[in-house]
Amino acid sequence: MHNVSLPEHLQAVAITKRYGGVCALNAASFSLRAGEVHALMGENGAGKSTLARILAGSTPADGGSISLDGAPVRIASPLDAQRLGIGIVYQELDLFPHLTLAENIVIGNLHFPEGQWIAPSRMRAFCAPFLDQVGLHMDPFLPAAALSIGQRQLLVIARALSMDARILLLDEPTSSLFDDAAERLFALIATLKSRGVSIVYVSHKMDEIFRICDRATVLRDGATAGTVEVPHTTPAELIRLMVGRELQLAPRGMSSPASRNSEEPLLTASNLCTAKLKNVSFDLYRGEVLGIAGLVGSGRSALGAALTGMDRITSGTLTHAGAIGLLPEDRRLQGLMMRMSVLENATLAVLGRLSRFGWIRRQEEQSELAPVMRRLALTCPSLAAPVSQLSGGNQQKVLLARWLLRNPAILFLDDPTRGIDIAAKQDIYRLIQELAAVGTGLILVSSELPELLRCCDRILVLHEGRLAARFAAAEATQEKIMNAATNVAANAAQPC
Amino acid sequence: MLMLHLPPLKKAQRLVALAALLLLAVLISPTAADGSRIFLQAGNLTDILRQVSLIGIISLSMTFVILTGGIDLSVGSILAFSTAVAAMFLTRGYTTHMAVAIAAAVAASTLAGLLNGVVIATTGIQPFIVTLASMIGVRGLAKWLTSNQNIDIGFGRDLAAEFAAAFREKAVVIGAYALAAAVSWTVLARTVFGRHVRAVGDNEKAALYAGLPIRSTKIAAYLLSGLFTGCAGVLYAAENHQGNPNAGVAYELDAIAAVVIGGTRLSGGQGSISGTIIGTLIMGVLTNMLRLNNVDSNVEMMIKAVIIVLAVAVQRERNTN
Repeated sequence: MHNVSLPEHLQAVAITKRYGGVCALNAASFSLRAGEVHALMGENGAGKSTLARILAGSTPADGGSISLDGAPVRIASPLDAQRLGIGIVYQELDLFPHLTLAENIVIGNLHFPEGQWIAPSRMRAFCAPFLDQVGLHMDPFLPAAALSIGQRQLLVIARALSMDARILLLDEPTSSLFDDAAERLFALIATLKSRGVSIVYVSHKMDEIFRICDRATVLRDGATAGTVEVPHTTPAELIRLMVGRELQLAPRGMSSPASRNSEEPLLTASNLCTAKLKNVSFDLYRGEVLGIAGLVGSGRSALGAALTGMDRITSGTLTHAGAIGLLPEDRRLQGLMMRMSVLENATLAVLGRLSRFGWIRRQEEQSELAPVMRRLALTCPSLAAPVSQLSGGNQQKVLLARWLLRNPAILFLDDPTRGIDIAAKQDIYRLIQELAAVGTGLILVSSELPELLRCCDRILVLHEGRLAARFAAAEATQEKIMNAATNVAANAAQPC
Repeated sequence: MLMLHLPPLKKAQRLVALAALLLLAVLISPTAADGSRIFLQAGNLTDILRQVSLIGIISLSMTFVILTGGIDLSVGSILAFSTAVAAMFLTRGYTTHMAVAIAAAVAASTLAGLLNGVVIATTGIQPFIVTLASMIGVRGLAKWLTSNQNIDIGFGRDLAAEFAAAFREKAVVIGAYALAAAVSWTVLARTVFGRHVRAVGDNEKAALYAGLPIRSTKIAAYLLSGLFTGCAGVLYAAENHQGNPNAGVAYELDAIAAVVIGGTRLSGGQGSISGTIIGTLIMGVLTNMLRLNNVDSNVEMMIKAVIIVLAVAVQRERNTN
């Protein structure tokens, strides 16, 4: 602990925040040293995003104090934060999609010089160095909607830098990035750190934290469970701080796809083309977990849209025995009715079965849901509680419950563990194995390669809408998959 | 996020607001010759219910439309259309049964609602625009059918007069509102359709992914709006003894006001029939109270404006995300 005496740059003491009767933060404390990368960890609902938003001035705290370099400060609005040099990159990147990159940087920016008159040439001159710093070499007059998610994130960081941020809060920045974009982000973080920018890195991901963070503060139930020096700790220690108990990462019990030659496939796609897919062919068998790897925008989600009829198939054929369920990528935008209850969300897709002449049979509705909830280890204050009150993990389980009630023969899971806590991830991995064991065909899209390697029998890699490679799980490695996904080696494709 | 069971709290707020308004109405009520408060007289209280019944019925179906994330601006015109069709059937010898005339008016209005729904659901044009167009078009249709003349229903002994006598009874009007309210509450709370209405308004994209029948849900909501408005039109014709192609102007705004005062989110997904009923009663009691006290009707509008904004401000979602 040689550097304990380093001055604390930003200090938040006894921060409290309540939403109605729920205490999101209960006297949580956090301190950040100049020039460090400090991880803010915790399960979903632990309060880390709330703390980040309080530091960024977008959520007011109910109690506690914040000081910057020893002087007490008041951060009542994002503008206050900007004046103090605090910038934030939210998980759901807060951009104006129809405005240009330059306009997104300039808007609300106290550092963009004087006046109401925004000349394009001045915008370009103002933005260029910051776009350059983050490695976004694009026309600043493109609309932000034209960027990929990774590029949008860089744009938000460029905006924060242009506001002269000395403290940068990153809220789960890699939750929607594939590894190459994440690599670029890590390199950028290292550069920023070397320039003296302090970074608060909100994340669940152990490997990232051990790679790039100097210290880690763990929140549990809205309070600070501990702050540790990352080089002197272990993942097990951090997990213990997060959940208050040790967790085992279960290894994948591999089922053998060897005896499948004689079997009829559950789903066959041959030369499938849509607006976003080109000549994709594969089979899916009963009880198989088929992994889909690829960068964001490579066609992973487009495959789900094609299989479920959301996107029109322009050529090629798709045959499948049985219904296809789709767990969408973004549970808030595409999955849940946030104002409706847990019960209503879960049974939404099977109301036909749970009703007679249009009348909902409410007893059966509850009695059918109960075993599914137990199976998912889904916990909620009550079945009538709005899903908006649940943690991310439990929200995802509500969506899974919707499909389990439907019991489709084929289930397409689009990044099901994105942004959810470790315990819920474990529950979802366990469920995937259980479903495969009873013969459901599963297609699992994931941004996390270790997850694919652990859960799947075979892995397909997509690149720009095409099938770049296919691997049996036994022969796949992170490196091989990455190479195929980024098309580093054109000869990576190997039939299996 | 984390609105811990706010909906019941909001419901309590609305009831408290209504109770407070009732108390105020009692306190400032002028007194009759015998010293009793006029506001509390049975005749006055039932007058309030009768006066709110037409807007009340329309606002019930408007609740469904708004819950889907839509809006129906055409209800005032559809009401006029309904009065015109009813009066034409009753006075021009098309039928000898009043039921046929009523059925024709309601069916015609339902058809107009169906048309709204089909256009909205199949073209994807915003409901505001589609129903704005039909607000204009259906008004034109009503005026064209009647040559822009009121069709008077007499006080004699003919079919039309019998119809008017029967359907302007206070008990019939209030009973129709009560029935419509009971049906609406049950449909929203207990049926698959009601669940789908809220789901579509809450998150249409998620409804698509869940495989819900989005189009037919929307069509049914607008159809219901036409149906209920048609019924309100029949009551209007009886009450006013005429088919009037200029009836119902600005009714859509009163109905929308009752719905939003009742706590239904204008962008859909959240709201209730009980809230709409309370919203309707708040507006009705307020009007009655002000008129009993001889408040100028222009001032009345200004007070209503303040009430609408206050009611919505108090109930707004304290959304932190």
